Amino acid sequence: MPVAELKERHAAAIEAVNDLRERLKQRRQQLLDTDVAGYARSQGRSQVTFGPTDLVCCRTLQGHTGKVYSLDWTPERDRIVSASQDGRLIVWNAQTSQKTHAIKLPCAWVMTCAFSPTGQSVACGGLDSMCSIFNLNSATDRDGNLPVSVTLNGHKGYVSCCQYVPDEDIHIITSSGDQTCVLWDITTGLRTTVFGGEFQSGHTADVLSVSINGANSRVFVSGSCDGTARLWDTRVASRAMRTFQGHEGDVNTVKFFPDGNRFGTGSDDGTCRLFDIRNGHQLQVYYQQHSDKEVPLVTSIAFSISGRLLFAGYSNGDCYVWDTLLARVVLNLGSVQNSHENRISCLGLSADGSSLCTGSWDTNLKIWAFGGHRKVI
Amino acid sequence: MDSPHSDTTGSVLSSPSVSSSGVFSQKRADIHNNETTTRHVKRPSAVTFRDPESCDMVQGESNSNYSETQSMHAAEQSIERNGKKGSCYRCLEGNQFTEKEICIVCNAKYCCKCVLRAMGSMPEGRKCVTCIGKKINESRRASLGKCSRLLKQLLNELEVKQAMSSEKTCKANQLPPQLVLINGEPLNQYKLHVLQTCQNPPKKLKPGRYWYDKVSGFWGKEGDGPCLIITAQLNVGGRIKAKASNGNAKVLVNDREITRKELWMLQFAGVNCEGKPSFWLSADGSYQEEGQKNEKGPIWKKTRIKLFCALLSLPVPPNVANPAGEDVSQRTLEQQVLLKLLLVGYQKSGTSTIYKQAKILYNVPFSEDERQNIKLKIQCNLYGYLAILLEGRERFEEEVLLENRKLQFADGPGSSGGASQIDGKTKYSLSPRLKAFSEWLVQVMVSGNLEVIFPAATREYAPFIQKLWNDAAFQATYNRRHELQMLPRIATYFLERAVEISRTDYEPSDMDILYAEGTQSSNGLSSMEFSFPTRERESFIDGYQHDPLARYQLIRLHPSSLGASCKWVGMFEDINMVLFCVSLTDYDEFWLDSNGVLINKMVASKQLFETIVSHPTLEQKDFLLILNKADLLLEKMEEVPLTRCEWFHDFNPVISHHNNNLTASVAQRAFHYIAVKFKRLFDSLTHSKLYVCMVTGLEPDSVDEAFRYAREILKWDHNENSFINNEFSTTTVTEASTTS
Repeated sequence: MPVAELKERHAAAIEAVNDLRERLKQRRQQLLDTDVAGYARSQGRSQVTFGPTDLVCCRTLQGHTGKVYSLDWTPERDRIVSASQDGRLIVWNAQTSQKTHAIKLPCAWVMTCAFSPTGQSVACGGLDSMCSIFNLNSATDRDGNLPVSVTLNGHKGYVSCCQYVPDEDIHIITSSGDQTCVLWDITTGLRTTVFGGEFQSGHTADVLSVSINGANSRVFVSGSCDGTARLWDTRVASRAMRTFQGHEGDVNTVKFFPDGNRFGTGSDDGTCRLFDIRNGHQLQVYYQQHSDKEVPLVTSIAFSISGRLLFAGYSNGDCYVWDTLLARVVLNLGSVQNSHENRISCLGLSADGSSLCTGSWDTNLKIWAFGGHRKVI
Repeated sequence: MDSPHSDTTGSVLSSPSVSSSGVFSQKRADIHNNETTTRHVKRPSAVTFRDPESCDMVQGESNSNYSETQSMHAAEQSIERNGKKGSCYRCLEGNQFTEKEICIVCNAKYCCKCVLRAMGSMPEGRKCVTCIGKKINESRRASLGKCSRLLKQLLNELEVKQAMSSEKTCKANQLPPQLVLINGEPLNQYKLHVLQTCQNPPKKLKPGRYWYDKVSGFWGKEGDGPCLIITAQLNVGGRIKAKASNGNAKVLVNDREITRKELWMLQFAGVNCEGKPSFWLSADGSYQEEGQKNEKGPIWKKTRIKLFCALLSLPVPPNVANPAGEDVSQRTLEQQVLLKLLLVGYQKSGTSTIYKQAKILYNVPFSEDERQNIKLKIQCNLYGYLAILLEGRERFEEEVLLENRKLQFADGPGSSGGASQIDGKTKYSLSPRLKAFSEWLVQVMVSGNLEVIFPAATREYAPFIQKLWNDAAFQATYNRRHELQMLPRIATYFLERAVEISRTDYEPSDMDILYAEGTQSSNGLSSMEFSFPTRERESFIDGYQHDPLARYQLIRLHPSSLGASCKWVGMFEDINMVLFCVSLTDYDEFWLDSNGVLINKMVASKQLFETIVSHPTLEQKDFLLILNKADLLLEKMEEVPLTRCEWFHDFNPVISHHNNNLTASVAQRAFHYIAVKFKRLFDSLTHSKLYVCMVTGLEPDSVDEAFRYAREILKWDHNENSFINNEFSTTTVTEASTTS
């Protein structure tokens, strides 16, 4: 019977792949003689320290009536777009905490939002499996709602993350529950390239997050429920350039390191990791031991401009500031007096690096800035 | 990791060149300055209140009682200043005359440059960041919510409003109830709420000891005469003491010895106060001597009494012109709530049919876009059905050829096989042109690209469909369609009208839409709002009167939208009820799950049910189990026993062979059996009741019945909770409206 034979060969092939993967892992383990923290310590580096009032919440953006799921800053000027379970996108002025736009969405179940590089339009996506683009300058309709200017249709699962390709307003990369990432041309509304999916070269589970390399916008990385992060070149759709194993849970969030040679991940296994895209090594694990058994999941991460600090939001409402070099927690924004009351679902650093915005399931966004002797914001 | 590489890593990570833009990496130099500037120290309260610099504090009432309650605080926050007198606590600059903002907890004063940095976003009003969450200094209570000029200059109107409203409303700044004693008894949170929300609440309530005359509503500080008349009959505080107001007039009113002033007032009102009488004074002013029945008229009737009271600074009852009317209107204005129903089920459980049926039932029109999508979907499905048939045709053809060859072998083993293949025409053979089309279509279907070729396919291939349909070979295959497992039952409905449907100008009817598989091309989510049309006969029969305007939202969700292990169920926390759909015919069907393991669909359904039901966000929600495709159950049970599914192994109904009509009741029993299985499962997971109903998705009445049942369940719930939540919900609604 050929089917049985095929099945046998398939099983054998899977076995072989797993074996090779295991050997690769062992080999990597062997070669890895140190991690970032170990090396830095041996070099006598000292840890970054923060006082209790050094990182101060200087604005609380109130206005959403549901959990905040996503936020994004404009590249220039201090505007933020946030997406919430109440089915609205709100565009804020972070300086004055005023709302410049409140966009009621046709589909209320939104998961992600993004500001375009020019700040002219915002994109969002969610359970409707579409990515909708709103032009902030277009006129509102009779009910005062901003009309959708473009819908990008084609995903077969929810849109979990979207990010504009820097320096142009016409390309956007989305990740979806259908196990693919897609590069779109907004002007035509069509898919330019699909990454993964059809052929077994891509993710094998829902893709949850993408991050485009700031130094080379043709390269992006994606994180998925299959526990891996994959590196893609937008010109090569057929296969991922590299697959990064290591996490023992869904990879919820990926973010490129400011220099573009590394990226960070955050996962359901409670760890953040730093990977190098050039050699595929895992450079460092950031994990804080907890006394109780419940390990909080990492929901979102962001790097400071220098890369020295890693901000990570956790499902229990903690928000750790990690020293990336020594892998130590510098500060927990979840335990200072002015913190969020629920899970921190998203966070992002402003383009100039001066302030951090966190969004939470307690419906608020908070803007944090350095409270030492420097001008706020 | 080789060492040269890790070296570069280290240098990039800590590269000093970037610190010019990155604030976060730049603070180590500042840190030592900061540590010395502000230092919070815990000190006993005495220090705070004797502080000579706090002369600008509102410290009017420093009577003995007050400071006594103050000392009930374990320790007040106080802050140590390092700079000279009158300077800012943070930058240590300025003098007494520079404008400053004061922390309402620790009395630290900050100049305009430092306020925002020291107080942050003011989530609880004007407090230092380190004081957030702490109780305010009671002497500052009067200034709560009153904005200073300094803040108005620094922030815009919106932010000031936000800060002030949170200062007034946040929990930490509320009056601690145990510091208010009424008739010697401290209040609790609930009683304080009662007191503050009554019709005539005591104004500017501060911590302290008070007496309250429940019968007449007189209110005053302990040891002082009455200063107010508040609402009577509130259930707060203990029994009033005779000496509560420190009176010495030897006349008792409601068990309290009244003061001289009150006695004068009573005498002026013409009340006979000879010989130490005791009176009962009620809230409306009528009074009665103890032990006698003669009730005398209200003392407040005459205006001169009120004038006289004003002269003696005694309280008079407030004008009852504004009863709670305002409140009541606000309560009825409660906005129309949208009740949300989440319809979810395993693949092919019929959720989309129920959704479409509901759309047709409750007159929610399909939009032009939707119709277009459905049209494409139907046409796409049709090509899919055709492809399945064509694939079947190939199989039939091969079978027949094989058969023929066998026959030939049997007839004459000498004849060559080549000749028979050339004229190997069977009744399943197609003409070459059609064959090419058919091969192409089958290939497209197998590669799963069927959706990609639309809508272009309709234009190009419509004539082919017609030819194909009229082809004898195709018809022969069509007649054997029941042998094709892949072909869904519904295909016949569409295939009969293949030619009509394949045209470009085809417009799907409601029936077509209902029968079509899938609502849209993607596995997304669809939602609609509807309300139940009133039926004449139902009014009042069921005991509850349903609000005909009540709006419902039905959200139909594909299980894949919930993501791996239902990661996104959290998005549906505001759902009122979950309708979980299970196809009754699933019990003998199998499905390849994500790991490539063959799994019984009923078991897969059960697993999905378990994950959804036990998800923390859907705790306490009502679940209505819809057992769908009830019409097909009986048919199927005749072919395959229910015990085929391992979960249903112990189903053995007693079947008597005397009655032919009993088969229907077996299906009924199977339904009950399955319902009980799910109910037990639900009970073991949540310890609550699962509602179940049997539905045939294609019958409008049965779907309507299910939705009305859902409405009924929501109504019961509402009635049960309304008694408990009434007070609470109205307060939260008003709070929400002020903050938004």
